[in-house]
Amino acid sequence: MVGYLVRRFAASIFTALLASGVIFVLTRSVPGDVVAQMLGQTSDPTAAQALRAFFGLDQPMYSQYLGWLGRMLSGDLGTSWTRGQPVAQMLGDAVLVTLQLSLMTVAIATAVGVPLGVLAGIYEGRWPSSLIQVFNLLGLAAPVFWVGLMLLVGVSTVFDWSPPLLYTSPRQSIVDNLSILALPIVSLGILQAAAYSQFVHQSVVSAFHQEYVRTAIAKGVPLRMVFFKHVLRNVAIPLVTFMGLILIQILGGAVIIESLFALPGLGRLLLSSIETRDYPVLQAALMIVVVVAMVVNLIVDLLYRVIDPRVRLT
Amino acid sequence: MHDHELPAGLTRRTALSLFGLAALGGIGVAPAHASELYGPAAADARKGGTLTMGLLLEPPGLDPFHQAADARIRVTVLLYQGLFYEGSDGQAVPLLAESYDLSPDKLAYTVKLRKGVKFHTGQTMTAKDVAYSYNYIRDPKNGSPGAGDFAVIQSVEATDDATVTIKLSQPNAALPMTLGNKYGGVVPAGYFDAADAGTKLNQISVGTGPFKLAEFKPNSNLVLARNPDYWEPGLPYLDQVNFIFLPNSSGMLVGLRNRRIDLAVVARPQDVQQVEGQRGLFVERWPSLNQKALDLGLEYGPLSDERVRQAISLAVDKAEIMRASVGGLGKVIGTMVAGMQDLWGVPIDQLPNQKQDLDKARKLLADAGHPNGLDLNLTTIIGYDWMDPAALALREQLGKIGIKLNIQRIELGVWVKNFQSKQMGLTFNDWSTQPDPNLLFYRHFHMAPEGADFRNWKDELASKLLDEGRAESELAKRKAIYARFQQEMARSVPTVMLFSADHITVRGERVKNYVQHPTGWYYGLARTYLAS
Repeated sequence: MVGYLVRRFAASIFTALLASGVIFVLTRSVPGDVVAQMLGQTSDPTAAQALRAFFGLDQPMYSQYLGWLGRMLSGDLGTSWTRGQPVAQMLGDAVLVTLQLSLMTVAIATAVGVPLGVLAGIYEGRWPSSLIQVFNLLGLAAPVFWVGLMLLVGVSTVFDWSPPLLYTSPRQSIVDNLSILALPIVSLGILQAAAYSQFVHQSVVSAFHQEYVRTAIAKGVPLRMVFFKHVLRNVAIPLVTFMGLILIQILGGAVIIESLFALPGLGRLLLSSIETRDYPVLQAALMIVVVVAMVVNLIVDLLYRVIDPRVRLT
Repeated sequence: MHDHELPAGLTRRTALSLFGLAALGGIGVAPAHASELYGPAAADARKGGTLTMGLLLEPPGLDPFHQAADARIRVTVLLYQGLFYEGSDGQAVPLLAESYDLSPDKLAYTVKLRKGVKFHTGQTMTAKDVAYSYNYIRDPKNGSPGAGDFAVIQSVEATDDATVTIKLSQPNAALPMTLGNKYGGVVPAGYFDAADAGTKLNQISVGTGPFKLAEFKPNSNLVLARNPDYWEPGLPYLDQVNFIFLPNSSGMLVGLRNRRIDLAVVARPQDVQQVEGQRGLFVERWPSLNQKALDLGLEYGPLSDERVRQAISLAVDKAEIMRASVGGLGKVIGTMVAGMQDLWGVPIDQLPNQKQDLDKARKLLADAGHPNGLDLNLTTIIGYDWMDPAALALREQLGKIGIKLNIQRIELGVWVKNFQSKQMGLTFNDWSTQPDPNLLFYRHFHMAPEGADFRNWKDELASKLLDEGRAESELAKRKAIYARFQQEMARSVPTVMLFSADHITVRGERVKNYVQHPTGWYYGLARTYLAS
């Protein structure tokens, strides 16, 4: 186990290094730079040159990359070129918002989606299953931004109420925090719950067709026991993989939903740093996404072993 | 909805008389009254309160010396002040200046400074601060986008504590307007000596404006607080302005309807429709200095032929494009932005190539060697909503003379790069100006190296007229020069100025006395108050 973790850690460092190179090249390959954004249409060439030198953009690419990598490895994420604030602080604030949004969405989607999927599997071929499949279909087909927009406009029209415009952290006021996050979580949660439900439904149906399940039922093992001991346990492994994927997918969805509901999270920070070509923020934010994806994958792998002792981590 | 009158205070007659005075050479300009600045003062204003304004565009930073984005200028004009204020009628009104004299050779401005002005830091403003600030911005090594505007200045010196002398290399009638509030502003001498001074301006403000920076949270909000030491007695009325950044107009409209937002500027006709007629919300239209234009870069093969450009201009129906893109919430223009048309514009019916004439356009194309038409690429900018329907309308219009338009939507950063490298081709453009013809035209249309000539126009007559217009300070002569320039521009067609979109504000009923400046900057908040 320890050997596995060490090897996995080494591989993660290699992956992160590779990702840092890809991120650096990709951010630089977008036409235009922060100087063009700052100086606008009618910029003076001398002024542009002076600003490029100030930001180090006149240095060779490899030198810029190594400089960034070195500072990052020493724990210095730098200062935002457009905001003048420490990148670490900006990311810290934004990550907390996105993390809360993601975890609560996963929790709610799991709480709703898994039971729905199980019910659909158990009642396969009967009306409850069909009803749940309609929900799945609608949930998967409706784009997140559309659901969010409909919720925002619908709630505001029907109840003459809209969520507060400024984000409040749970420490400041849990009520305000939840009233701000409620609609974004529901918007993202509907899609994810539908995805869960669909996945669990298919897994349950597939498990019921396995020979060992059929044998257990034929031997007269009570259906409840068959379900919990054989079906659900076997559904759990792919479900954990799926949860990992969903969490990463929510990070992607956050760009849209945070923009729609004006949440100051990582997705919105990513978007604004792309628009302003604020490389220190953009690169650090993308690195965070990479690291989160790696950590989630590691947790998923470790959970396999907890769920199924037959799995050997080598 | 109604067309709003321009604010009272400085009337067009006053402006004309002041420009007339300038003709004498060696002029003196009297101090400005408080009511002439920022908008009309209110007789019965209630003091206090926080006004929440929704913004769709977030300032990328608040440094007025290094950040060119219009979203920055709109709010920093409340924090930083220059020597002059951009009067709505096209006149520069003394702001931190109290009065000024122009030498008979028109090469030296002696500016008397307003007394009792304090920076947000508590220091008293002196002539040394003014000289430092303008010398900093005009030095290209300091990387300010405004440096080019100040290139004509030879020196700025503090003569005594309350007087600065600005010497020019050549006469420039637009200098007072250039010393306005778009770039820079007066800050304490030596402020930029610290390495992190520029970025620190996102945490503190060091200007002299009616508001001080209280908080700037990226992707969230910007709070300005009343400057208790402000030099205009009793102003501003508001305790705080809270600008909330909203990434899309849906949230803005919901916020307006639910009274979470007091004031907002909207642009899309569909957004205007959603708030029009709502109880407790007032929609107002204001003239603007903005222009939506079709630019024709002469480096793009077929556009180097004047006849092709003229044919395009003759095929365009500006009114139809405006209706398609902003639903009529603007004004069709010829060669001058709407907010400056009365003073500086040539009437559209007196300009060539303005009225749609398809037969003449087809003939011009045939003469240019394209009897069967030609294919052209048009670039539009992603996120500029008006451009998409405008592009479709233009494609249909140009199709009638055999020009097949291929529409390419590109990201703003790519577009800016093309623009700056003078590779714009055929593109829609969306830009605005300070209210002076020199500042509107010179950099864009004068040949290099004096101007940037982004469209590769290289028109000698136009450049000569722009030089003459910049040097001339007598209003009547200046108007005549710029009228000839506009005739040349309309004839040769480096750009087709389509329309000026109105500024449209939506305010809740408790918001009083807000006047939208034609630049689009939020000067009016310095005179706004909240009813109880």
